Amino acid sequence: MATWTAEVFQNEYLPDGATDVHAIITVTCADSGQAGDDGSGAAEAIIIDCSGSMDGPQTKMIAARQAAAAAIGELSDGTWFGVVAGNGGPVIAYPPPALEVGGMVQADTRTRAQANYAVSQLRARGGTALGMWLMAANDLFARTPASQKHAILLTDGKNEGETEQQLAVAISRVTGQFQCDCRGVGADWDVNELRGIATAMLGSVDLIADPAEMAADFRTMMQTAMSRGVANAKLRVWAPLGAEVLFVRQVEPTIDELSARRVEVTNLISEFPTGAWGDESRDYHVAVRVAAKPLGSEQLAARVQLEVGGQVVGQGLVKALWSDDSALTTRINPAVAHYTGQAELADVIQEGLAAKAAGDEVTATFKLGRAAQLAAETGNDEATNRLKKVVDIEDAETGTVRLKRAVSKLDEMALDTSSTKTTRVRPS
Amino acid sequence: MTDGSATAGESPVTNRLSCPSCGEHAGTTDAFCESCGSLLKPQSLPPQRESAGIQTNPSDRPCLACAGKVGSDGWCTVCGMKVSNGREHVIEQPASMVAGVSDKGIVHPRNEDAAALAADPDICWAALVVCDGVTTAADSDVASLAAVNAARALLAAAPRPPNTSAEARIAHWSEQLIAAAAAANRAATETAHAIGDVENPPSATFVAAVADRDVLVAAWIGDSRAYWLPEAGPAEQLSVDDSWATAQINIGVSRDVAEASPQAHAITRWIGPDGPSGDASTSATTARSPGWLMVCSDGLWNYCSEASELAKLVYSLADSSAAHEPLPLAESLVTWANEQGGHDNITVALAFVDPTAEIAPTAEIDPTASEVEMKESF
Ligand SMILES: [Zn+2]
Ligand SMILES: [Zn+2]
Repeated sequence: MATWTAEVFQNEYLPDGATDVHAIITVTCADSGQAGDDGSGAAEAIIIDCSGSMDGPQTKMIAARQAAAAAIGELSDGTWFGVVAGNGGPVIAYPPPALEVGGMVQADTRTRAQANYAVSQLRARGGTALGMWLMAANDLFARTPASQKHAILLTDGKNEGETEQQLAVAISRVTGQFQCDCRGVGADWDVNELRGIATAMLGSVDLIADPAEMAADFRTMMQTAMSRGVANAKLRVWAPLGAEVLFVRQVEPTIDELSARRVEVTNLISEFPTGAWGDESRDYHVAVRVAAKPLGSEQLAARVQLEVGGQVVGQGLVKALWSDDSALTTRINPAVAHYTGQAELADVIQEGLAAKAAGDEVTATFKLGRAAQLAAETGNDEATNRLKKVVDIEDAETGTVRLKRAVSKLDEMALDTSSTKTTRVRPS
Repeated sequence: MTDGSATAGESPVTNRLSCPSCGEHAGTTDAFCESCGSLLKPQSLPPQRESAGIQTNPSDRPCLACAGKVGSDGWCTVCGMKVSNGREHVIEQPASMVAGVSDKGIVHPRNEDAAALAADPDICWAALVVCDGVTTAADSDVASLAAVNAARALLAAAPRPPNTSAEARIAHWSEQLIAAAAAANRAATETAHAIGDVENPPSATFVAAVADRDVLVAAWIGDSRAYWLPEAGPAEQLSVDDSWATAQINIGVSRDVAEASPQAHAITRWIGPDGPSGDASTSATTARSPGWLMVCSDGLWNYCSEASELAKLVYSLADSSAAHEPLPLAESLVTWANEQGGHDNITVALAFVDPTAEIAPTAEIDPTASEVEMKESF
């Protein structure tokens, strides 16, 4: 059975009159087991873009077939699964209708071989309608008894086969039904569009610059999915009467604003879905505004709990203690400072790239300069390296940069998709 | 405070739980109450302790600030104020030769230990009482305070026979201490009846020691301890825990095995309405050199159990400029236990006993002279 721990990092000392309490809560899950362990099994959908553009160059479609096969190879026996071939109108590539039992079949040697054959027959033709693909996967999932549902979605293009509105409706229909990791291959897809899907579906988004990397990436994604023994955990935040939860944000391994997914449980308790968990740690930044209390007062500003299957399995306490000792109150907790910087880093990278795309070079230079400064301050070397491909960093300390004249589209997309990836706080 | 069992914090959870905050029944794998989210303390109860072990807490006191329900994490579930019984850190020193410090520790939300002291330095007489409320029972802090005060009142009022033999004084104080334990038991039981919680009545351990010149007598029910820690000569543990581990050792299990057992700390005797009947156990020793008489709760001795080790600790912590002052030493011991983790409430009471000191030959014995005032610090 999974065991959970929650650790709180904060400076609980507040100066006279202060109201805002910030804390980082590190939640760790251990001994989670395997996907499907804690319910009625796991289900996987593999959604492969089969639009005409996948043949330009042909290596993309070939890589996609191999990647799908690699993912199928990682399915544990008994996992319900199916393959959606996506274009202007999605097709269930596997299981074929005659085999269809409950929409999906369970993985075993025979069904994996059948599915491998089916994906080897995938051909590129037609358009891209991401919303319909998601709905097709949802139909498959809806007819399985599985409680843990996950999909991998691959595309190489923008959502041109349906309107933005249609996609938005589809996303809202499938949100909460399954999790979805999204991958874009090549330089012709829209980072914001795919990030929107991945964020709503509690999944990751990433760029596959070279089709040759696709199979390894799919294998890793499926291994990760199969190693998640906890189907669904929720973050539950209690704040005292009269307090306001300013935000709840996942800050590690990626920045993910949870506030938009808030579900009110009682007037004091909110819940946020966090999806499936394997043996892993995630960090959350919780900010609460409480009424200021007299010096010397102590109070609980938040209880941050993990809930699985209706049971609270771990708890961290966020406290507030008003003091006139400035040596205590002026200290900023290093974890809070680090992740505040990383969250701003993600924002300024995305805003800088959006400004650059819109031709606003002044804003782009300012935002990406700030990004270079924050990446250096927070020790995010990966972000610094990606920024260097888009801007020339003259002085990271002051955030002085110049936009590069010739920038590869793939480098910009790599910077954009990885903008939300964070690094852990370095021990000081 | 003593848990009904010692497994708190080790095994995730066993069975038969209900929420200490709201009394809601919880599943076998719950770490927290489904109904109110309170932390459910793991329970693995020895058969002897069943009736008091089930966690229902209907009489838990509401938040002082807003009257809301208090979570078992020690904070109000409505306004977030910390719940206090005013006993986070209590100091007691009725005379300069004795001092007691009772501290909440770090982990537990409330201090359910209590100490009461009395002394008459003119005749080198002191009485130390400590009770450790059982965490899993409601209002054990109220019971433990009532119990120590009842025991102290009895001991302070007891006759102090002058010019009698050591044997006679041992017999006298053993009898008085058994009576004091009985008084403590009555007080704890009355508390329970006042609260009216028959399902899960408050309970506590009891330990008391009297120093009468060179004679040292201890009495106990449960696993709070008395030690004699002389400046010269071997240190002694005067009490023998009424615990599952001791019972195992008594039937031949090796000490290492017995003490490593998850229920090693489960107590087999306690005071309170559902406590097993029978007198307190007693033991006595004779002091040959000056030293410290100590009674303490397991919040201290858990970190330093052997008498010889405890003596080393005490003499290493004693300030050389105030070597015979009990209060700084008691504070240092509490600080030390908190530095070791403060996993439980920590209570230590000390009397400096000097059998070689001159005693005023015609000292009038006035039982009321040792009535004490209690100092509390918050
Ligand atoms: Zn409850
Ligand atoms: Zn309250």
